[in-house]
Amino acid sequence: MEILKTKSLSIGYNDKAIVSNINVSLNEGDIIALVGPNGAGKSTLFKTFSTHIKPVSGLIELFGKNLNQYDNKNRAKMLGIVLTERPDDIFLKVSDVVAAGRAPYTNMFGKLNDIDEHEIKVSLELVGANNLIDRIFNTLSDGEKQKVMIAKAIAQNTPIIMLDEPTAFLDYPSKIELFSLLKKLAKEQRKAILFSSHDLELLLRFTDYVWIMAKNQTFMAGKSNELLKNGILKEYFNLKDEDNDFLLTKNM
Amino acid sequence: MKNRKIIIGIAGIILFGIMLFILNLFVGSVTISFKEIFKVLLKYNTDKTLNIIIFDYRLPQALTALLAGAALAVAGLLMQTLFRNPLADPSMLGISSGASLGVGIVILLTGAISGAAVSSFGWWSTIGVSLAAFIGAIVVLLVMLAFSSRIKNMTTLIIIGLMIAYLASSITDILKFFSLKEDIHAFVIWGMGSFSGVGNSKMPVFAISIAIGLFASLFLAKNLNIMLLGEMYAENLGLNIKRNSVIIILISGYLTAIVTAYCGPIAFVGLAMPHIARFLFKSSDHRLLIPVTMLIGMNMALFCNLIARLPGLDGNLPINAVTAFIGAPVVISVIMKRKK
Repeated sequence: MEILKTKSLSIGYNDKAIVSNINVSLNEGDIIALVGPNGAGKSTLFKTFSTHIKPVSGLIELFGKNLNQYDNKNRAKMLGIVLTERPDDIFLKVSDVVAAGRAPYTNMFGKLNDIDEHEIKVSLELVGANNLIDRIFNTLSDGEKQKVMIAKAIAQNTPIIMLDEPTAFLDYPSKIELFSLLKKLAKEQRKAILFSSHDLELLLRFTDYVWIMAKNQTFMAGKSNELLKNGILKEYFNLKDEDNDFLLTKNM
Repeated sequence: MKNRKIIIGIAGIILFGIMLFILNLFVGSVTISFKEIFKVLLKYNTDKTLNIIIFDYRLPQALTALLAGAALAVAGLLMQTLFRNPLADPSMLGISSGASLGVGIVILLTGAISGAAVSSFGWWSTIGVSLAAFIGAIVVLLVMLAFSSRIKNMTTLIIIGLMIAYLASSITDILKFFSLKEDIHAFVIWGMGSFSGVGNSKMPVFAISIAIGLFASLFLAKNLNIMLLGEMYAENLGLNIKRNSVIIILISGYLTAIVTAYCGPIAFVGLAMPHIARFLFKSSDHRLLIPVTMLIGMNMALFCNLIARLPGLDGNLPINAVTAFIGAPVVISVIMKRKK
C-alpha cells in the first residue's frame, strides 16, 4: 500500500532548489536507502519530509492528502524520525525518552495510560534495549542511545520511520544488528523505512530500493540489485571495477 | 532516583522552608523571641509595636520573598530549557532592562521636567515606580513575543533578547546623564532590589498575579520534556515550535515582569535555582523540576532575605548583593560536582 508519494518535488532552502524533480513513492514494508555524497541534499530531503522546511516546489502526498494539510499532531502520528546527532546532557530515564514518542497520543500533562506503557516496553524490546529501561539516558553509549532513539520512533507508532545516517557512529557488528532491525521493522511491522547511509555493501544486502542523490543535483531511484547490475551505482560512486564485481557477486 | 527518595527530598525542602519562614519573622534589627512571635501570631499579644513589626513588616516581607523566589526560579528554568542553555535566565529576554528603563524614565524624567525629585511626590512615587517598571517590562516582553512568533532559531532569539537588553540599559544610562543627583540615588536604590516594597496593601494583587503565573507553568511540563530532545525531535513529535516558545516566553516574562515591578531587578535566583534543583534530584524531568525549582527558589529567597536583615546590619542589605554572594559559589560547586 502506498503511504507517501512525491510529485515533481524540488527541495532546498530559501527558494533555491538543491535537487529538483523528485518523483518517488514509499510503500508499506519498503526498506529504502538514500545514498549520495555529503552535501547532496539527503538531510534536506528528510527535513522536507518531516516538514521542518517547506518544499521549494512540487507536492508531497501522505495517504493521498497533501502533507501540509496535516496538523502537527496528526503528522506526528504518521512519520517518526531518528537523527544523526543524539540529544545530549539530559537526565531523563530511558523510559521517559521513549515515552516522548507517545507525546502525540497523550494528554496535555503527558500522562501515560496502559497502552502507552505497553508500547514503550514493546518498543524497547524490539530494539533489544529493555535492559536499559531504568538507566539515565546520559549515561548510555552512542550505540545504546541510538537504539533508544529508534525505540522512541517505534513507540511513536508511525507508518513511516526516517533515519538520518543511523550507522554513522556504530562498529561493524552493530551496523549489521541495526540493518537487521530496520529490515525486521519493514517486513514484520509493515512500516516504510527510509534511511541514509554510506555503507554501500551492507545497504545493498538489506534494502529493496536505493535512492541516489548525486552532487550534480540529480536524483534517481531504483531497485537495489538493478542499479548495481546496470552499472548506475558504479558510476555514481566511482567504484573501481574490482569493487563493483565484488558487490555484484555478493548481491546477485 | 527512587520515588521514596524524591518524596523525602521534597519534604526536607518544605520543612527547611518553614523553618526559614519562621526565622524571617523573628530575626531583624529588633530581635523578638519565639514565645512572643507565637503569641503575636495567635493574637494573644497586645503589644502594638510587636504586632506592627510582625504583621506589617516581617510577614509581608517573608511572603514577598517566598513568592518572588518561586517566580524567578521557575522563570529561569523555563528560559534554560527553551534556549537549551544552562546560563539562560529571565534577564536574557531584556525584561529586567525594560523594567529599569521604565523606572528610569519615571524617576529621572520627573526630576528633569518638574525640577523636583521624585521622592518628593511621596506615596505616588512608589506606585509610579512599580507601574513604570511593569510597563517597561511588558513593552520589552511584547517585542520579544513578536520576534519569537517569527523566529524558529533559539540562538537568534537569545541574541535579539540580549541586544534589546543592551539597548534599554543604554537609554537608561543616557537618561541618568541628564538627571538630578537625588533621583539617580533613588534609581540606584531601586536597582538593588528589595522584598520590603510590597507590604500588606499591595500583597493581594502581587500574590494573585504570581500564583497565576506559577500555576500556568505547571502545564508546560510535557512540552518542556519533549524540547529536551532538541528542536527537530520536538517538532517531529507534534510540537509547534513557534507557538510553544511564545507561550514559554510569555509565562517566564510575565513572572519576571511582576517581580521586577514590585521588588526591583533581582539577579541570580533565576539562573542558579534550576541548577540546584537538577543537581539535588538528578533529573531533567520537568514534571518534577518545575515544582521543586519553585520550592528551592522560595527557600533561597527567604534565606537571602534573612541574611540581608541580620541584626547588626541595621536595616536591609541590598538583596542583589546577597543573592549573588550566596548563589555564585553554590552554582560553581554544583557544576564542578556534576563534571566529575
